Amino acid sequence: MPEEPYSPSPIGNPSVLARRNRWQTMLVKFIGKHTPKCREMVRILSQSMDEPMPLMMRIKKRLHFLICCWCQRYEEQLRYIHETARHFPEHADEASNVPFPPDAKERIKEKLAEQIR
Amino acid sequence: MSTFDVHAAAARWVDDHGECLYRYALVRVRKPEVAEDLVQEAFLAAVKGYEKFGGRSSERSWLVGILKNKIVDHFRKLGRETSFTDLEFLSDEFSEKFVPVGFWDHEKGPHEWKPAPDEVVHRAEFWQAMRECLSKLPQKVRDVFTMREMDDVPSKEICTILSITDGNLWVMLHRARMALRECLEMNWFDKPAGGRA
Repeated sequence: MPEEPYSPSPIGNPSVLARRNRWQTMLVKFIGKHTPKCREMVRILSQSMDEPMPLMMRIKKRLHFLICCWCQRYEEQLRYIHETARHFPEHADEASNVPFPPDAKERIKEKLAEQIR
Repeated sequence: MSTFDVHAAAARWVDDHGECLYRYALVRVRKPEVAEDLVQEAFLAAVKGYEKFGGRSSERSWLVGILKNKIVDHFRKLGRETSFTDLEFLSDEFSEKFVPVGFWDHEKGPHEWKPAPDEVVHRAEFWQAMRECLSKLPQKVRDVFTMREMDDVPSKEICTILSITDGNLWVMLHRARMALRECLEMNWFDKPAGGRA
């Protein structure tokens, strides 16, 4: 089955390179063909949050970002989630209204007092 | 520090930080009685190690750090009982976001997120959205994600603790991040009360 043509750039596509003229169209097609597709790129971006990306893949990623602001945004948002999620434990009291049972609180205070004695 | 001082400090920790520690433990382990036990263990460990607390971090950060270790120990103990062989949540449910050749569908790509992370951390509604989105993740995927991103456990150690392969870990983290990103966008960043405010 022949590969479907790359979805044309919509009006207002904010990527650095979009199919705005003949040269950009050629470049977009070339980069699209020689870098991972977005579906694969988002998987690679996730893995790069946990282990370093090989040099060649870093270059491919940079090239891919030229034609795809969505993957670039996706990476920024993975970092956003990473940056905020690590603060979640210290803000857990703001995240819900579940009360800390008063009897558990008292029991813990008693245990602590026993240990300190 | 005298025994009296430690006693007073410990009682104050429970009043000031107990709620936060309990709610975090509950998000992680889901069972109230287990969460209570973990919080108790964390406070007992804090009293033992109080001399080592040099005030380099805030009291809450220090206590949360101790609780995180207790939670990881809890999962370590459970590790052998937890089967990750029947991996759930591995079907590609976000395939509608991409056109058949694998590029983003331009109508469905990620939206811009505002405000910046350092601003959003001060908004309780954001943490509520984060908790709700976490609760929608399947249990095993959530465990892996929270251990990696919230408890900051290295990937290799997570694989050992949960007896899973590197490959399974990458897939689960990828699915978790994708689902969480999507959920936060829908329930926070695209809402007037959230980033669009």
